Amino acid sequence: MIRSKARLTDVSNDSSDSVLLSESCIKRLKKISKNPDDYLRLTVDGGGCSGFQYNFRFENQIKPDDHIIEKEGVKVVVDETSIAFIRGSTIDYHEELIRSTFRVVSNPNAEQGCSCGASFALK
Amino acid sequence: STKRPLIPRKAALSLTPAAVTRIKSLLKDEPDVIALRVGVRTRGCNGLTYTLDYVKEKGKFDEVVEQDGVTVLIDKKAQLSLLGTEMDFHETKLATEFIFNNPNIKGTCGCGESFNL
Repeated sequence: MIRSKARLTDVSNDSSDSVLLSESCIKRLKKISKNPDDYLRLTVDGGGCSGFQYNFRFENQIKPDDHIIEKEGVKVVVDETSIAFIRGSTIDYHEELIRSTFRVVSNPNAEQGCSCGASFALK
Repeated sequence: STKRPLIPRKAALSLTPAAVTRIKSLLKDEPDVIALRVGVRTRGCNGLTYTLDYVKEKGKFDEVVEQDGVTVLIDKKAQLSLLGTEMDFHETKLATEFIFNNPNIKGTCGCGESFNL
């Protein structure tokens, strides 16, 4: 855990562009963001069956150390600690008959986690 | 008088009004589809997960649940594990999902997508 953390801080801290938003994510955010100050916030927390889990919520506050991923007018906000865990991944809105939700896909920092994709382990 | 044996029988599946509304609106756009089929399959960290599919033809062993003008089929393999389940539908900004309130389950995984009996 500590070793993983140290390695993650070595990753260059250049731009928040290193997290991508999928087409369906942008489309969904455009549809539901009636208020332009509503941002989708993605947080990585400890927990889930694989050690870490992704949490999504809507919020209208941006903190000074937040990374803002903005595309076509929609914004996703990720805090400084969480960004290190998801750099290089894509935020997607996955639509299925039974369930449609936001999710993180192709995370280069994560091992294949639980099959529902909500939780992951670091590589 | 002849005694009539009375066997209690739980409804296999019940639908909340939100689920009925959602299923109606889904089927409106799919003229060939006659129903949704609920099933279970092995997946996830807790054993089983629900599946939901469009159905064009009723399978021989499907159990038919008709309620408020919509039809839901239950796959043979899922009939025991779903007995008495309420199918609900939730829509928030974050997610749009069918939720199964199943009285038979012993535990679920953290994200709620898999369960055991």
